[in-house]
Amino acid sequence: MSQYNVIGTRAPRVDAPDKATGRAVFVDDMKMPGMLFGALLQSPYAHARIRGIDVSAAKRLPGVKAVVTAKEAGLVRFGVSPARYDETLFCSDKVRHVGDNVAAVAAVDLETAMEAVSLIKVDYEELPAVFTIEEALADGAPLVHEEYPRNICAEVHQEFGDVEAAFKECDLIKTSSLTSKLQNCAFLEPQACIAFYDHWGSLTLYTSTQTPHYVQRTVAMVLGLPVGKVRVVKPYTGGGFGAKASASHLELAACLLSMKAGKPVKMRFDREQVFWHGRSRHQFFHTMTTGVKKDGTILALKNECYLNGGAYCSFGIATVYYAGSLLGGPYKLPNMKYDGYRLYTNLPASGAQRGHGGVIARSCWEQQLDMIAEELGMDPIELRLKNVMTAGDVTCNDLNMSSLGMKEAIEVVRDASDWNNKKGKLPKGKGIGMACGFFVSGAGYPIYRSDTYHCTVVVKLAEDGGTAVVYTASAEIGQGSDTTFAMIAAEALGVPLEMVRVESGDTDFGVDLGAYSSRQTLMTGQATKEAAEDAKRQVLEVLSKELNIPVEDMDIKNGLVVFKNTKPDFTALRTRYQKEHRGWIDNPGAEEELSFREASRIAYLARGTIVGTGKYRPPELGGKFKGAAVGTSPAYGCSAQVAEVSVDEGTGKITVEKMVDAHDCGRAINRTSVEGQMQGSISMALGEALFEEVKFDDKGRILNADLAEYKIPTILDMPKVDARIVESNEPNGPFGAKEVGEGNIVPTIAAILNAVYDAIGVRIHELPLTPERVYLALQEYKNKSKTKS
Amino acid sequence: MLLPKFDFHEPTTVAEACQIIAEYREKAGILAGGTDLLVAMKKKQISPQHLVSIGRIDELRKLDSSSGMLKIGACFTVADTAASEVIGKKWGALRAGARALGSPQIRNLATIGGNLVSASSAADLPGSLISYGARVVLTSTSKTRVVPLDQFFLGSRRTEIGYDEILTEIQIDEPPPYSGAGYISLGIRASQDIKIVNVASFITLDSSGKTIRNARIVLGCVGPTHLRAASAEKLLIGEGPSEAVFAKAAEAAIRDSAPRGARYSRASAGYKRAMVGELTRRTLGIAWKEALE
Repeated sequence: MSQYNVIGTRAPRVDAPDKATGRAVFVDDMKMPGMLFGALLQSPYAHARIRGIDVSAAKRLPGVKAVVTAKEAGLVRFGVSPARYDETLFCSDKVRHVGDNVAAVAAVDLETAMEAVSLIKVDYEELPAVFTIEEALADGAPLVHEEYPRNICAEVHQEFGDVEAAFKECDLIKTSSLTSKLQNCAFLEPQACIAFYDHWGSLTLYTSTQTPHYVQRTVAMVLGLPVGKVRVVKPYTGGGFGAKASASHLELAACLLSMKAGKPVKMRFDREQVFWHGRSRHQFFHTMTTGVKKDGTILALKNECYLNGGAYCSFGIATVYYAGSLLGGPYKLPNMKYDGYRLYTNLPASGAQRGHGGVIARSCWEQQLDMIAEELGMDPIELRLKNVMTAGDVTCNDLNMSSLGMKEAIEVVRDASDWNNKKGKLPKGKGIGMACGFFVSGAGYPIYRSDTYHCTVVVKLAEDGGTAVVYTASAEIGQGSDTTFAMIAAEALGVPLEMVRVESGDTDFGVDLGAYSSRQTLMTGQATKEAAEDAKRQVLEVLSKELNIPVEDMDIKNGLVVFKNTKPDFTALRTRYQKEHRGWIDNPGAEEELSFREASRIAYLARGTIVGTGKYRPPELGGKFKGAAVGTSPAYGCSAQVAEVSVDEGTGKITVEKMVDAHDCGRAINRTSVEGQMQGSISMALGEALFEEVKFDDKGRILNADLAEYKIPTILDMPKVDARIVESNEPNGPFGAKEVGEGNIVPTIAAILNAVYDAIGVRIHELPLTPERVYLALQEYKNKSKTKS
Repeated sequence: MLLPKFDFHEPTTVAEACQIIAEYREKAGILAGGTDLLVAMKKKQISPQHLVSIGRIDELRKLDSSSGMLKIGACFTVADTAASEVIGKKWGALRAGARALGSPQIRNLATIGGNLVSASSAADLPGSLISYGARVVLTSTSKTRVVPLDQFFLGSRRTEIGYDEILTEIQIDEPPPYSGAGYISLGIRASQDIKIVNVASFITLDSSGKTIRNARIVLGCVGPTHLRAASAEKLLIGEGPSEAVFAKAAEAAIRDSAPRGARYSRASAGYKRAMVGELTRRTLGIAWKEALE
C-alpha cells in the first residue's frame, strides 16, 4: 500500500473533459471587442541588405490601423542568452534568413492586414548567403553577423581528466560519427497571441507559450515597459517542445501594434511561418572517439560537434554545451574531452527541442558503444551494466546523480523484451537493439544570470473552506502539469483531488520560469508542496488554539482532521460552522469526523483568507569551469529502451514493431501521465529517426514547410510501447518525483539504430533512416561484400 | 492561409452544373471533395472566380454494378471506394489504392473523380484504374464523350477535360476470367503520405493458368503522368507466369520509367527506378495469386 492517497494514482487529468469535448479555450478561440488582426512582412531572401522600406501604400489602405517597422520598434536587442542578444523586433540593416521579420500591420481584419503587408515595398539588395557548416566556415565566407568572425556563434572547449593519456591505457579505441537533419517541433497549435494595451498603460498578452515569465521580461525590455505593467497569460496551449520557450517576434509585434493602435491585436503564425520561425532541434555533426579496456571498462571519450545554428543564437549557447555535457553519465567516464562549434548560417534559427542538445550526441555514442561491444565480444547490455552509474555518483563534469535507477531500468527492459532470447537470434530482416539516456529535471540556473526564485506558488483556501486554489505561473502546455500540481497540492494539504483547483499560466500568479528543461514537476512541484503545507499549517494552528491540542498532534488526511491521540470534543466548532452554513444541505452529520472544510472555515474566521506560499530555487550546483552551469540540475531522470524492428530489404523501409521502455521518474505523481510522456517522446524520436527533415532549396527557402511533406509519425507508425515506470525516490523532488518529459526521448534513436544493425548488418551514420537511405546503404554493403569475395 | 474570394454555386443536377461552367468557362473551378482544390486555392496556385460544387448532385454519388460493368459516380468518395464490398471483391487493386490514400478524414471527403482530374502521377487511384482499362465519361451541355483513362492524362495537372466539361462517371469492365491485379504505393510513413513510387499490375491468364494473355503495368511518380510500362507488358504476354519472368518484366519496367530525379524530389531517380522494379515484381506476384483464385 502506498503511503499516499493521491500521488501515484491514475487520476483523470483536470483538463481532460474540456479538451475531449472541444471546450478548452486556446488563443485562436478568443475574441475581444474592437479586436484588430495583425500580419507580418517577412523576408523572401536568405540574406539581403535593406536599402529602404516604403509603407505609404500600406498605410493608405482603408482599414489599416497601424504599420510598424524597425523605425517604430527601435533596435533593442534581445534573444535567449543575454550573452547573445542578437535579434531585434524588426530587421533594420539586413535580413538574415527567409522569413526574417521586416514589418507588421494591424487592420480591421486579417484579409486587409495581409493585403497591406503586400503593399509594403522593401528595396532589397541580395547578398551571398551561407547555408552549411562548410560554407559558413570557408575562407572569406559572407558573415551573417559582422561581429562574429568565421560565423562562429559559440564554441566550447572542455576537458575533464586527460583523454590522450587515458587512450594510451585502452585496449580498443573506436571512432564513428553521426549526422542529423534540421528538425521542427511540429506541435499541433501554431503560435498565436492577442495583445491589449489599455488606457492605464498596462499591457496584457494572451499567448501560446511555454514560458510566460521569459516572454514577460522580453516584452518589457524590448518595448521599454516596467515588468509589472506587462501581464502574460497563457490559455490552453497545444504543445511546445522547445520552440515556444522564448519570446517570439509575433508576440512582440502584436504588443507594439496594440500600443500604436490602442486596440487589442490578434496575430498568429500559419504553419509555414512556424517553420520559418524554427527554434527547434539543430542539425548536428558529431564525431566521437571512445577508448575502453578489454573487459569493457570505458576510460575516455573525445567528442567533436558542429551545429548548424541558423541566423540567430536563440537557445544555441545552451545547445552547444548540452551536446557535450550530457554525455557525462549515465556511465562512469573518468576522462572526457569536448569541442563544440555552433555556426551562424542564413537558415531559420534553431533552438531547443525535447532532449535539448543531448539527443543526437547520445544517438551517436550509444551506437558506438554497440560497435565496441561487438568488437569486444560482449553483449551490449553487459557492456552498459559494467559501466553504469548508481545513485550518489558524480560525473567527471560535476553532475550529481542524487538518485539514478539506470541499472534497474536496463534490467527491466532486458527482461521485459526477452533480450537474452532475441539478441542475435532473430531471423534476417528483424533486429533488436537497446540504448540508455538521461536528462535534467530542470536546468540548475535560469537562462539569464539571476538569484531569482525559479518559481513561487500560492495556495489560497476558499472562504467556505471547501476548495483550495493553487495559483502558479507555470505553463500547462498539454503535458499535464496542472493535474500534477493539483495532485501534489491535494496530497500535501491532505484533501481529495476534487477539492483542488489550479489556476496557472499567468504572470500575475507569481514567478515561474515555465515549461522547459523538464523542470516543472520537480521545481514548481516543490513550491506547490511548500505552499500547500504552509496553508495546512495555518489551519492546524487555528485548530490548535481552538481545541487546545498541539499542532504536531494533528494532521489532515483525505479531507479529514486526524488526531494522533484522543479525539477531542469539537461540537462547539461544528455548531459554529453549521451556523455559518445555515440553509445549506451538505452540512456534516453529528457522527462524522471533523472535516478539513470545517477546520479551514474556522481558520478563515480567525485569520481572514488563508494563503499559503511556496517557492523553489535549486541550491548552487555544478563545477567552477566555464559552462559548468549547462547540464546541472537538482536531479536526473533516466531511461533504457529496447527497440524491435523489421527492415524490408527490397525497399529499405523500416518498421519499428515494439519498444520496451523503462524510465526512472523518481516517483510517478500520475502514472497515466508518466506513461503518456513515454509514449509521446517515443513518437517524436521515431519521427526524427525515420522520417523528419526540414529541406531547403539553394536559395534557403523551405521546401516542406507543412505537415504533408514534413512527415511526423501517424498513429499507424507507432510501435507497441511497453512502458515500465521505475521509481527511485529522488531526495530533491516533491514526494520523490523527477522528470519524464525529455529523458525518455534520449535513447530512442540509438535503440532503433542498433536494432537496424542487428536486422541487416549495416551501420548507418546519417539520419533520418528513410527507405532510400537504408536501401542505398544495403546496396553499398552488398557491392562491397561482392568485391571482397 | 486564407482562401481567395469567389462566388459559390451549388447546382443539384448535372445539366445545371454544365450550364454554369459553360457560362464561366476558365473562370470556374469544380469543387467535389475539395481536398486538392481548396489547398491549391489557399496556396494561391489557382484562384477561380466561380466555384461550382457538384457534391450535392445525387446522380454523381452512385455506384452501379448491375450490368456487370462497374459505373462509379465522380463524387463517390474514396472512403466508400475503400469500403465497397463489390469493389473489394472484383477490383481489389482499386481498393488497395483507396486504402492507401491520405487519412480517414481525407478519404471521407476526397472523391474518385477528383483524384483523377487532379492529374498527379503520385495519386493513388489512377494506377489501378488504368490497369483495369477504365474509361471516364466527360459531360458538357452539348455532348457526352467516353475517354479511355490511359488517354485522359496529358501531363502533370493537365487532362483531356475541356473548360465546359465535367467528369461525371468512371466505367470499368468486369475483368475477364483468370485475371488478377495488384497495387502497391511506397511511402515514407504508414499513412497520410504522398508516395515515392506506386505501381499497379494487371494480368489475365489463359484457362490453364500457364500463359499470360494480357498484361497492363502502370507506374506512378516516375513521369509527368502515370506511365504504361509498355516493354514490360510486351515481355510478359505469351510467357508463363513465374518469379523469374516477373523479375525480367521488372527490369523492363525500370527502363520504361522516366523519373525526373530533380534535386528536390521525394527521392532520387536511382532509388525510384529501383523501386519501380521492386514494386512491379511484387504487384505482379499479387496479380498472379489473384488470377489463380
